[in-house]
Amino acid sequence: MTSRRDFIKVGSLAGGGLLVSLVVPAYANTTSNNVNSQEIKMNKFLSIDTDGKITVMLTKHEMGQGTGTSIPTILADELGADWSKVQIKKSDYHPQYTWQEMGTTGGSGSIERTWDTIREAGATAREMLKQAAATRWGVDTMALKVENSFVTNIGTNEKLEFGELAETASQLPVPEEVTLKKSKDYVYIGKPIKNRITKKVVSGNARFGLDMNLPGMVYASIEKCPVFQGKLIEFDATEAKKVTGVLDVFPLILSEEEKSKIHPKRGYVDKGVVIVADSTWNAFKARKALKVQWDYGQHGTRSITSLEKEMAQASETAPMTFEIGNMEQVFKDEDNEIIEAEYNNPHQAHALMEPINATAHYQGDRCEIWVGAQDPSIVNAEVANVIGLPTDAVSVHILNSGGSFGRRYHVDSSMEAAFISKKIKLPVKVTWSREDEIMHDHFHPCLRNYLKAAISSDGNVLGLENTAISTTGYSAWSNKWDHYYAIPNMRCYLSKVPTLVAEGAWRSTGEHSANLAKECFIDELADKLGKDAVDFRLELLSREVDWGDPSSFPDWVKKYFLPRKKIIRQRHIEVMRFVKENGLWDKQMPKGKGKGKGKGFAISNFGDTVCAEIAEVTLNESESGFRVDKVTAVVHCGMVVNPHFGKGQIEGAIIWALTALKYGGLEAENGIVQRTNFHNCKVLRMDESPEIEVVFIESDERPTGLGEPGTPPLAPAVLNAIFDLSGKRIRKMPVTKQDIHGMDA
Amino acid sequence: MAQYSLTVNQKRYTFDVAPDTPLLWVLRDTLKLYGTKYGCGIGQCGACTIHMDGLPMRSCCLPIESIQDKQIITIEGLTENADHPVQKAWEEEDVPQCGYCHSGQIMSAVALLDRIPDPTDEDINRAMKGNICRCGTYPRIRKAIKLAAKDISS
Ligand code: FES
Ligand code: FES
Repeated sequence: MTSRRDFIKVGSLAGGGLLVSLVVPAYANTTSNNVNSQEIKMNKFLSIDTDGKITVMLTKHEMGQGTGTSIPTILADELGADWSKVQIKKSDYHPQYTWQEMGTTGGSGSIERTWDTIREAGATAREMLKQAAATRWGVDTMALKVENSFVTNIGTNEKLEFGELAETASQLPVPEEVTLKKSKDYVYIGKPIKNRITKKVVSGNARFGLDMNLPGMVYASIEKCPVFQGKLIEFDATEAKKVTGVLDVFPLILSEEEKSKIHPKRGYVDKGVVIVADSTWNAFKARKALKVQWDYGQHGTRSITSLEKEMAQASETAPMTFEIGNMEQVFKDEDNEIIEAEYNNPHQAHALMEPINATAHYQGDRCEIWVGAQDPSIVNAEVANVIGLPTDAVSVHILNSGGSFGRRYHVDSSMEAAFISKKIKLPVKVTWSREDEIMHDHFHPCLRNYLKAAISSDGNVLGLENTAISTTGYSAWSNKWDHYYAIPNMRCYLSKVPTLVAEGAWRSTGEHSANLAKECFIDELADKLGKDAVDFRLELLSREVDWGDPSSFPDWVKKYFLPRKKIIRQRHIEVMRFVKENGLWDKQMPKGKGKGKGKGFAISNFGDTVCAEIAEVTLNESESGFRVDKVTAVVHCGMVVNPHFGKGQIEGAIIWALTALKYGGLEAENGIVQRTNFHNCKVLRMDESPEIEVVFIESDERPTGLGEPGTPPLAPAVLNAIFDLSGKRIRKMPVTKQDIHGMDA
Repeated sequence: MAQYSLTVNQKRYTFDVAPDTPLLWVLRDTLKLYGTKYGCGIGQCGACTIHMDGLPMRSCCLPIESIQDKQIITIEGLTENADHPVQKAWEEEDVPQCGYCHSGQIMSAVALLDRIPDPTDEDINRAMKGNICRCGTYPRIRKAIKLAAKDISS
């Protein structure tokens, strides 16, 4: 056991006041370049000065999810602070913030992973302030209460503000134990506290990575090889150099030595030709005047069509990942009906509102980077690699970003900026055009699921087989532990085919892909059996999947996985019960040609959060052939720290997923991505945004993530609704009006 | 390079840029007014929306040579204290998520309410569908516009 004294250090603030630092033992280090594998030190994590001003250090990246406000809110609540006296200070990257706790922003884990640490820090400071007051008044702390930055003597009603106590508190020993607040006593947690960035946004003063400006800064833009992993053969910059404002043109090629050091995925950088100019526009313009010859390499002959063929071929020979029961027998039995279906998840682009960018200033023995990034430790590590400096010579300043959604785990733009700044010895801002951002995205991977189920003559699902073929390794509903629906016989196969575009995390990652097949196919089976979609799922969840002899499980499964699986299964059941009890699913839809409405249901988990969505859909003559009128989301995420942010995340996730369903996918010919900008990489707009209702299941359980869980159930819920309305099973995205109304539409 | 002058937020600026430079890049790179955002460069996303002589325009599609002597208002110059009814409504509904698209959203919404003080949902769709929000704040934008409309009419 680590004693609390080991991880909370208290000191005195320069100029007087209380200073709390955290030293948290790390679980494990996942970043190779992290110098300290023992602990996370957050010096000056919380400080209270003698005027009562409270400063909380923020290590999370603010990219639209609101944790830049909600994490300090949690701390303020536990501390008993007046929220208006709390200031939030964005911390620069420090190598001691490790992946698990503080330094990374992703996986919908910011609050879930810091919940205990943050509250402990707040409670410790609160107890010390209380102790300082108790000493001052000569009473026991029992006689005191803390509220709104004041410690009050309940008996005498005397009050002392935190600022008056901070210095004394800083001299006290750290208490061995503190009691955390009960949820009923929360003042800010659970309330719709407003986002601290809003004021700056509405006045036009919010600053993002792309708004970085340094004295003497120049602007760069890079003409990149249009094919993933292609090479630069030669280029002619004669015309480009004639463009007004162009300062320099040179190739971006890393040496074999540099390449050998960088992470092949997160540090991947396309080859290209760099234009340095006196403005972004002049740099963009000069790119058009370049003459470049590329070697498209191995992907130059591939296309999405050829990829799909490769995936189909791979499905014939994919190795088995697990088997429960005896599928062979179930499929052989002639009394059983076999149902087959194939689901296709294409690539998806991020199309982040703020295009990718970074600013760098190389100064010989050190380098500074300004960028919006989800994990600054990766920026630090890969920049150090690319310019040949030790990691402690690279400072990373994290700026807010205009959406990240997984894309900003890749640090290509920071590496490019550092490379260029080193070459030209000037501070430089690299701006990716929208075309660069789409064509050189790290796309959501492709997944195909080939499904086969056996149904007995008395109407039970006896067996399920899933062959998953993906361009990536992760979640394809083919790992034994991915399964919650208890079907007595199960068998899965998994195989990978090489990608032809760069890939990466995209809001809800593999859960989005896997749930298309899972939640649509379950709907197909329910329909086949004449069962209600929700009742059928509840039936399949009524017992646990039989994973085999528990004594054969590895330790981590027993300790970590099985308890979580219990919670997740329970949450599925609670959510669906809520849906039924509140008549959210039983609602009758108007029928009739042209006026009819379909409804569809889907449910999934992302991490420990479970989200069900009910989609109401009408058909129309638009490009996609349908409109989503309403989505009702029912979410179980334990306690909701900020319902305003939480609802916003679910709304955003639904709109994100509906974009993928209506306009997603990707075309690539001769290895070249065909989408370039918002006219051919369409995204959902105001006029297509459905009415969205979000309900959170009331819960006292610790909060779990909210950024991604709203995404996976949307596509299957809508596709199931389209089936309900039209009788057409669509097993792919994007949906077109031809899919719904036939080829002549 | 040529010399141009422009009135932005009631202030007169004179500068040297290439004639085809879009207003967006003059605002950002030359005048260092970073409130107006780059999103697509081809008039598709609305992030760069400003007001020119009172009308909402996409600044990425306005070459500087074509807009001499125009009056430009950017988000920074919309009001002095961020207290336009639209800005107040945006705060009240706490609309932004990442915030990146909202300079453009607000400029479009202000122009809408200038024209139609009490817009229907259809009016809102028509006026706002040129402004993309990848975070999906559309429901809140709609709410905020309605709130601002109420404020203006009262
Ligand atoms: S940047 Fe002008 S409309 Fe997108
Ligand atoms: S709030 Fe992020 S793009 Fe609109």
